[in-house]
Amino acid sequence: MTDFVNNRAGGPQVGRNVAKIDAFKLARGEPVYTDDVHPAGMLWAKVLGSPHAHARILDVDAARALALPGVVDVAWHRQVKPILHTRAGQSHPEPSPYDTVIMPDKARHIGDRVAVVVAESLAIAEQALGLIDVKYEVLPALTDMDEALARTDVLVHEVADPRGIAEGGRSNVAARIDKQVGDVSAALKTCDHVVERTYWLPRVQASHIEPHVAIAWLDEDGRLVVRTSTQVPFHLRRILARILELKEADVRVIKPRVGGGFGDKQEMVMEDLVALMALRTKRPVRLEFTRVEELTSARCRHPQRIVMTTGVMNDGTIIANRMNVTADTGAYGSHALTVQGNTGQKVLPMYPCANIHFQVTCLYTNNPISGAFRGYGAPQGCFALESHIDEVAKVLGMDRLELRRKNHIRLGDTDPLSAKLGEGREGLSRVIRSTGLETAIELGCEAIGWTKKRPPSAPHLKRGLGMALAMQGSGIAGVDWGAATVKLNEDGSVNLLVGATDIGQGSDTVLAQMCAQELGISYEKVRVLSSDTDLTPFDVGAYASSTTYVSGGAVVKATQQMRDQLAAVFAEKWACAAGEVVFGDDNVSCGPGKAMTMAELASHALYAAKMQPAATASHMSNESPPPFAAQFADVEVDSGTGEVFLRRFVSAVDCGTPIHPDLVEGQIEGAVSQAIGYALFEEVIVDGAGKVKNPNFLDYKIASALDMPEMVTILVPTVEPSGPYGVKAAGEVPIDGPAPAIVNAICDAVGVRLCRIPATPERVWRQIKEAGE
Amino acid sequence: MWELKEYRIAGSVGEAVAMMRRGPGKGVYIAGGTDLFLFPPACDYVVDVNHAGMSSIARTPDGDLFIGAAATLHDIATSPLVTGFAGGLVSAAAAHCGNRPVRTTATIGGNLCNALPSADLAPALLALDAVCYIADEDSQESLPLEDFFTGPRRTVLDGRLLVGIALSAAAGERRAQARRLTRSAEDIALVQVAVALEIEGDRVGAARIALGSVAPVPMRAMLAEALVEGELIANLDPDRLADAAAIAAAECDPIDDHRASAEYRREMVGVLTRRLLASALAAATDMSPDSGNEGGAA
Amino acid sequence: MKIAVKLNGRNREWEAAPGATLLSVLRDGPQEPRMTSVKRGCETGDCGACTVLLDGQPVNSCVVAAARAHGHAVTTIEGLLGDPLMTMLQAALVEHAAVQCGYCSPGMLVSLYHLLRECRAAGTTPDDHAIREALTGNLCRCTGYVKPVAAAAAVAAALAAMRSTEAGAR
Repeated sequence: MTDFVNNRAGGPQVGRNVAKIDAFKLARGEPVYTDDVHPAGMLWAKVLGSPHAHARILDVDAARALALPGVVDVAWHRQVKPILHTRAGQSHPEPSPYDTVIMPDKARHIGDRVAVVVAESLAIAEQALGLIDVKYEVLPALTDMDEALARTDVLVHEVADPRGIAEGGRSNVAARIDKQVGDVSAALKTCDHVVERTYWLPRVQASHIEPHVAIAWLDEDGRLVVRTSTQVPFHLRRILARILELKEADVRVIKPRVGGGFGDKQEMVMEDLVALMALRTKRPVRLEFTRVEELTSARCRHPQRIVMTTGVMNDGTIIANRMNVTADTGAYGSHALTVQGNTGQKVLPMYPCANIHFQVTCLYTNNPISGAFRGYGAPQGCFALESHIDEVAKVLGMDRLELRRKNHIRLGDTDPLSAKLGEGREGLSRVIRSTGLETAIELGCEAIGWTKKRPPSAPHLKRGLGMALAMQGSGIAGVDWGAATVKLNEDGSVNLLVGATDIGQGSDTVLAQMCAQELGISYEKVRVLSSDTDLTPFDVGAYASSTTYVSGGAVVKATQQMRDQLAAVFAEKWACAAGEVVFGDDNVSCGPGKAMTMAELASHALYAAKMQPAATASHMSNESPPPFAAQFADVEVDSGTGEVFLRRFVSAVDCGTPIHPDLVEGQIEGAVSQAIGYALFEEVIVDGAGKVKNPNFLDYKIASALDMPEMVTILVPTVEPSGPYGVKAAGEVPIDGPAPAIVNAICDAVGVRLCRIPATPERVWRQIKEAGE
Repeated sequence: MWELKEYRIAGSVGEAVAMMRRGPGKGVYIAGGTDLFLFPPACDYVVDVNHAGMSSIARTPDGDLFIGAAATLHDIATSPLVTGFAGGLVSAAAAHCGNRPVRTTATIGGNLCNALPSADLAPALLALDAVCYIADEDSQESLPLEDFFTGPRRTVLDGRLLVGIALSAAAGERRAQARRLTRSAEDIALVQVAVALEIEGDRVGAARIALGSVAPVPMRAMLAEALVEGELIANLDPDRLADAAAIAAAECDPIDDHRASAEYRREMVGVLTRRLLASALAAATDMSPDSGNEGGAA
Repeated sequence: MKIAVKLNGRNREWEAAPGATLLSVLRDGPQEPRMTSVKRGCETGDCGACTVLLDGQPVNSCVVAAARAHGHAVTTIEGLLGDPLMTMLQAALVEHAAVQCGYCSPGMLVSLYHLLRECRAAGTTPDDHAIREALTGNLCRCTGYVKPVAAAAAVAAALAAMRSTEAGAR
């Protein structure tokens, strides 16, 4: 294994707050996103979505639409070869069921694809939708998980996945998990207390401000080019080639700047449609979702019902933990297995015990499609577990902080559940080799004033404090990998080509810092290209908290290889030992009098040594070291109205050694803002007919500047031996804890437990009222 | 896209009504348009009244306040004429409506003419006995705001133009408090209550309790008002206020929807009415303020 | 219909459908150049990615009729590049790592520019709440608003310092 921790060279480029390398152009409003540049002759696409949650699409008559001047083409299921696939956007072999075709002959949720139209303008395309005549056979809609489980006469998917994952044709179960360490049932009988509660998690949506948008065209060689706002350009290339029956060599995916992804852009939500229509019309085709389409036809966080059963002794020792999850994957099984797997795998190890049982039943329904969303199952599990720990403490009459301190995972502990679970197959066992959790708890308690709760600010308000602990992973162990190419130019600048996908989190900057660090140059000399499947090496993409930890490893390795080449060139010119060549401060030297600037060495390499210093390296980790978070909420609750006023929020996060502390803080602050919405007001509300009642930002509220409390963010650095420079991941772990911390604080304030979020004023009021009766 | 055949820009009130009446087809007045573009009504043309001379905010020599229908919510929220009227009840209602960019173009006329049950300015204006001025091609009419709304998204207008709103100088002296309940800081109100009390020495004169988001139209809780109106302040003890609040809760007619249940809305009318009455009276009698118009944004 | 506007200081004539929004005319063309800093995010006046100045006041161009701009001045960030206050704000956003995906940044900058220009004219300094109030129409899903608010506060403080220096010089 590469020794990542002790390989620093030259002046510090990592560990400091440099200007994010794309920030200026973004702040200038430069045309850098997918939709900012339109190819000549571009057509505008619109999708005709199903008005029915479940209906066979018997016939589509597009004659009237095609007669409208400006309409160029309409496609629907009869015209498109049905090749089963998943749009989940995962590594091959994909763990999600192959239950999807480009144009289905059965609509499985309101908004599901019925037809796609392309026209000379957006207005014409919109108008054409109303001129497409469709004959449906309306089928009973399954919108309730329990009904979906009970019924076998109505099936959302009637055909089994050819790989046998889904129980298509037999039931509405999209995924099942049943893994056990020890024997929970037997152990529960030996416990002083058994505490069981049920928790409900809502459907929420990533709500990146840039909607899904993609433009496809054929280049001068007839190759398909797709420029798209995606997190997974390489997975897209593979999937598009297969389902459109093209050679992978004839597909090029370009990712420009992306206006936020949060998992929702791991999914192939529309790239197949623009590709299809570009191939059919031989013209560039552009499709962008409206906000309504985002909230009805993109992806949501899986709604879940979680039953937690915990066996505990009087002294607070946790003996057994069972988590039973029922989840709604909606119309398709995107991430059905793996998100739900994470609900246990990323959460239950927080409190190691000899007996752990994790069960999942994930159901197809005719609701909007669930999928990947930052946290990837862990926010659900963390809400249940961390709410439950407070409940267990209450039953024990024990301090909730002490109960956590007594049981939480520690340095050197192993995590047997990870070995059992993995990413849809047997995984790798995990040993904690770095943790700052104890320090995070201590610093967080201090910052929130855990021992000295402040008085309410008005007589009708009640004050409460709450906390939650969280852990996540750093990439998927043994699965996620990435590659990087570095190339030195004659002025001493470097091209860094990465498949790693900057979607706003700043990975280009962090990777440039790492490259500069290894070469002893300023990060400003590194020009990053991400990502273009024709030009950059492979990377699985931006998901699973992997980029800094996994792709960063590839950058370090590639740069070290190029540095070795340069050392050899230098050593030959100066007749010294390559091993003694020192890089730093934009210079290369080997003792007194033997020194060159990096530019001089580069020029020498290219024109005298006649070699191109360049290297490509790949990196994968067989570990997925967990970052840790301790998060704390200070709330006031109006018990008359049920309103919750979040006054202060503290996050103390161990994400290893930060490469760019400000960007890490930004990840934490953004994650907390999303989780505050999860806790208090976000919910995609679907009625019994499968219709989204609030498909816009008028009614689906995400946090505004005035919804945010005073935020305290504390970085708790540790050195993770398996991460470059000691890094772990930061993107996801801070989204897990806020919801349980806030709900625990509400309970502390008014004495009622909300087992269902969001904790809207009405829910809080009702809970208080019922407790009083 | 909103399929309109024509966008007509009127230079005066008279021209606006004439343009509306001219046809052919169906027309709609537009000012800010911030509501219209959300759910564009099916129509052939719109008549833009932004340049029709209806944007003024003025106090008459008698102290009455006139707000032109095309006055923007931002102007209303920040005009000293409005912030100084009835404790800033109307300006605060305008300031809570939408967000800053919306308030640049959204108008008081638009807020009222859209006639949503949750119209943000309506409770404050109802609590101050606002009078609507309405123009037709060759006539003018005025009527109390409570007679303006005829149902959700329906008004008495029928092609006529709301020109402005007038509030009497006396209303400007009322002790007024209002509160809107929301899920997040910037949200459609779940419940709105505005209370305005005329204080005549040791007695309450006119009492107004106005409600929003809890009936097909913004409304006054007149039975509850009657319990307070004309009463000695000393007699308005917490029990009496609780009675008035309970009556207000009984008077409203809320619905269940995905934002809140009818039950919750009705209960909150009671809770907020009681608190607002208490705090308006406390302010009137210089007693220590009770919990009323508090909380603020979470 | 023909719409005469002053866009970023230049007189322009647009051909637009009567029901077109200001956003669609600015962003989608066919008028060239497209004002691509003006982003489409929600089309309900909630997210503020399309914020522009209409006669110097911030508006959500997605819920304003293009025709409403007839005879008026429209300013997008393209027209404010090089303006000293805008330059300060952009630099502050970059320095405070307040730009993550950047999609909301132009709208946010337009709102902050308007706030600070008004405060400068009034000789006041906006506090944290005033900055948040000004940003309520600009939804950001990346930053939790912590660093954007800090960046704006830093510029406000710098303007206040400049003001007191000027006052001292007099």
